[in-house]
Amino acid sequence: MDDSSLLSEFTLFLKEKKQEGIKVIAYLAHDNIPEELIDAAGFFPLRLIFGGNDELMDASHDFLPPSTCAFAQSCIGLFSVKPNDYKFLEMVDYIIVSNHCVSDICVSEIISKYFNIPRLNFYVSYTINENSLKYFKLELQDFRNQLEVIIDRKISDDDIHNSILKFNNFKKKLLEINELEMLGSEKLKLIHKSMLFGPDFLHDLENLIQKFKHTPQSVSNTSKDVFLTGCSIFINDNFIDLIEEGGGNIVFFDTWIGNHYYSQIIESNLIDIETDPLDVLVLKFKNNIYGDHSVPNFLEQKVSFIQKYSENYTKNKGRKLGVINHIIKFCDHISLMSSFLKDTLQEKGIQVLNLERDYSRANRGQLSTRIEAYLEMMK
Amino acid sequence: MSLIADEIISFSSVLRIAYNLLTGRNYLKRKKFREKEKLVAVTLPFSDLAFAAGTVPVFPIRMHKFEISQYLTYLGSASSIFGWNAVSNFLSFVKNLGIEEVSKIVDDIIENVIDTINEKYNEMYDLGIENGISSDFCYGLKSLVGSHVSKGRNVDACLNVTIRCSAYNKYLESLKSINEGPRQIWIDIPPRNLGNSLELLTDNISNALNEFEKLTGNNVKDNDLRDHFKIGNQVKRSYKNIIYDISASDFYPCNPATFSEIMALLSITFQDYNSNAVRYRDNIVSLEKEMRERIRNGIGMDVSKMPRIFVTPMFGGWEPKSHEIIYELGGRALYADWELLKLLEEIPNGPHTDPSEEYARFLMRATETGIGCDNDKLTDSYLRMASDLNADGIVFFQLFGCHSISNCYAMLREKVRRELEIPITAITFNRIGENVEQVKTRLGAFMEMFK
Ligand code: SF4
Ligand code: SF4
Repeated sequence: MDDSSLLSEFTLFLKEKKQEGIKVIAYLAHDNIPEELIDAAGFFPLRLIFGGNDELMDASHDFLPPSTCAFAQSCIGLFSVKPNDYKFLEMVDYIIVSNHCVSDICVSEIISKYFNIPRLNFYVSYTINENSLKYFKLELQDFRNQLEVIIDRKISDDDIHNSILKFNNFKKKLLEINELEMLGSEKLKLIHKSMLFGPDFLHDLENLIQKFKHTPQSVSNTSKDVFLTGCSIFINDNFIDLIEEGGGNIVFFDTWIGNHYYSQIIESNLIDIETDPLDVLVLKFKNNIYGDHSVPNFLEQKVSFIQKYSENYTKNKGRKLGVINHIIKFCDHISLMSSFLKDTLQEKGIQVLNLERDYSRANRGQLSTRIEAYLEMMK
Repeated sequence: MSLIADEIISFSSVLRIAYNLLTGRNYLKRKKFREKEKLVAVTLPFSDLAFAAGTVPVFPIRMHKFEISQYLTYLGSASSIFGWNAVSNFLSFVKNLGIEEVSKIVDDIIENVIDTINEKYNEMYDLGIENGISSDFCYGLKSLVGSHVSKGRNVDACLNVTIRCSAYNKYLESLKSINEGPRQIWIDIPPRNLGNSLELLTDNISNALNEFEKLTGNNVKDNDLRDHFKIGNQVKRSYKNIIYDISASDFYPCNPATFSEIMALLSITFQDYNSNAVRYRDNIVSLEKEMRERIRNGIGMDVSKMPRIFVTPMFGGWEPKSHEIIYELGGRALYADWELLKLLEEIPNGPHTDPSEEYARFLMRATETGIGCDNDKLTDSYLRMASDLNADGIVFFQLFGCHSISNCYAMLREKVRRELEIPITAITFNRIGENVEQVKTRLGAFMEMFK
């Protein structure tokens, strides 16, 4: 299925949701947004995980300077241009203004203000410690209140528990994707679809995973295995094609749209009906130690994660693993830490390609050359 | 430049602040090696805890050796014997005699201060890029990275206060990768004032103070904090008086370009109060006095016909030639970034106050109503400041690579036009001195609107 069919299928899916009276709450693609609360309140959480192009980026320049991250620019472009595939964005009822990064704030604020979509607020501390966990709970309570005002009733603890379980089970299934032997682009499609449709897709996901497990897809044995970290490859972004055309195959997606999302699983025994469900969500935030939002230990955690994964991979598969750090141009978090990440990993013998790009068509050739050169070097 | 230099000489306090800015290296070396004090790197005006804990806050660029004219060095030495006032009076006296050589020397001194700082900023900017920070980040961050790469190992700790700018917070994280030695002391400010978040921030401040205690081996008592807040409040009071009573008034104690130059100097130095709060307090208090004295005596300039141009933001990098250009075009440039961000609010320091809590309240207020958790709030701060200054126009510096403040321009322009009905223009900025001609053209067109 290509991205266009995926989006049209999603449009129908969302229309049905709306016909059932379900309202849609959108937010940018990152982590820490309590989708379980959104679900428990009877809304549909729509993660904006769509890539861009020249036209979409240009359309944002009425609101933001071009030195804004390409993803943020494109999100505004989508609401401004509303391309045919994205008509479903008209069904968005609320947008969450959150501070994953400052562009996240600016973009969601602009979408709310200039495209008349009421906003909800959810902010997250930059550190993860005892006090920021307490603060996270304050934000959760506030967010719950904001939702309750809209639906004009209380959200029960039971409903939140059920939603936590639902998303937890869904992520457990998604986690199995990591182990599938298949082409990276196919894996990514599966991840995209799952994260777009959410737990409603669980049944299909189970079947697909089952199918792939029984009939592993052949991957060219000359291709080089790649670990993708940094920014995600979003829907309608053909960046993965460049990697595959260059002779690489992404075996692990260590980004918001990938393992970073579905590895945030809470141990089942901790989802106790006796526990305040908000505390369970706080625990999830506490465990999110690899998130790029957090300071001051993001780099150490990320390096140790990649190092472990890479060592295990080589040990188990007997193959070398390349690391591509995907940097969407002007991304504060990923770009600022990129040289440190590369240097630290290289000191440990892991070769890293820091690949910075925006969504313009013009730089494809240059990107291909860099990818090919890197993969060639991996021999 | 000569006019500006002439004027500055009349304010001995400005000479002192400038001298302390440029000769920081020797002062800091003495503090560190002879007096065994701990140096703490600070950025933005968050030096309070470092002062209260008995450490020496330092804005990293000040650890550099500056190429300063030998005359300023000479003046520095002379001042330690005769006092600064005597030096300043002497200079004015000699200059008034019209001895050309001396005039040149005096001009050189001031030109040196301003140019040297800017040159160093640019040097740090290049060094930052050479050492891995992408050229896509703002001028301020690139220069800060350069400063830490070159001199960061000399500090004993870095005081890291999180703000809403994600690039800044990540830069703070990167400091321990740049230099492993210094202790990293963090204060995380909750993004919003919800529930008991003030209590949480107070606790974060107490934890930071514990870190300071570990660093120095001394207890930080409530009275240490109160004593520093008292000094800090005096600094802020004078700073605010200069902004409101003098910069917004119709008679200036000097020509407007000089005035802006002084305001720019205050903006830079306020971040670490030149590493000595008492000395700085004395200087800024006497600066205010000197200004008032001159106004009282009718010395200075009637500026009532010159439009007030609020130039902002400048703390992350701006073209320092702008105020001179605006002056040449018939206007006056006003700088008030720290006040806009609510960082000049006084902190209650009475005997029954809980100083950590008061400091938390101060930081929270700045976050909530100054910097703001979103652009709607931030743009309100610009509006408030422009109207408090009675500004006739706004020049907004849009920093290349700034995703936090520069990004609010579209919203700001709309609000200014709707609510203040004054002209506003944006000037893009990347590096000091890079686009002076373009700045001139933009400002030229902008200032036409006031004719
Ligand atoms: S700057 Fe980075 S983290 Fe922020 S919106 Fe853009 S891609 Fe996401
Ligand atoms: S707010 Fe802008 S100028 Fe300030 S540090 Fe962040 S990016 Fe730089």
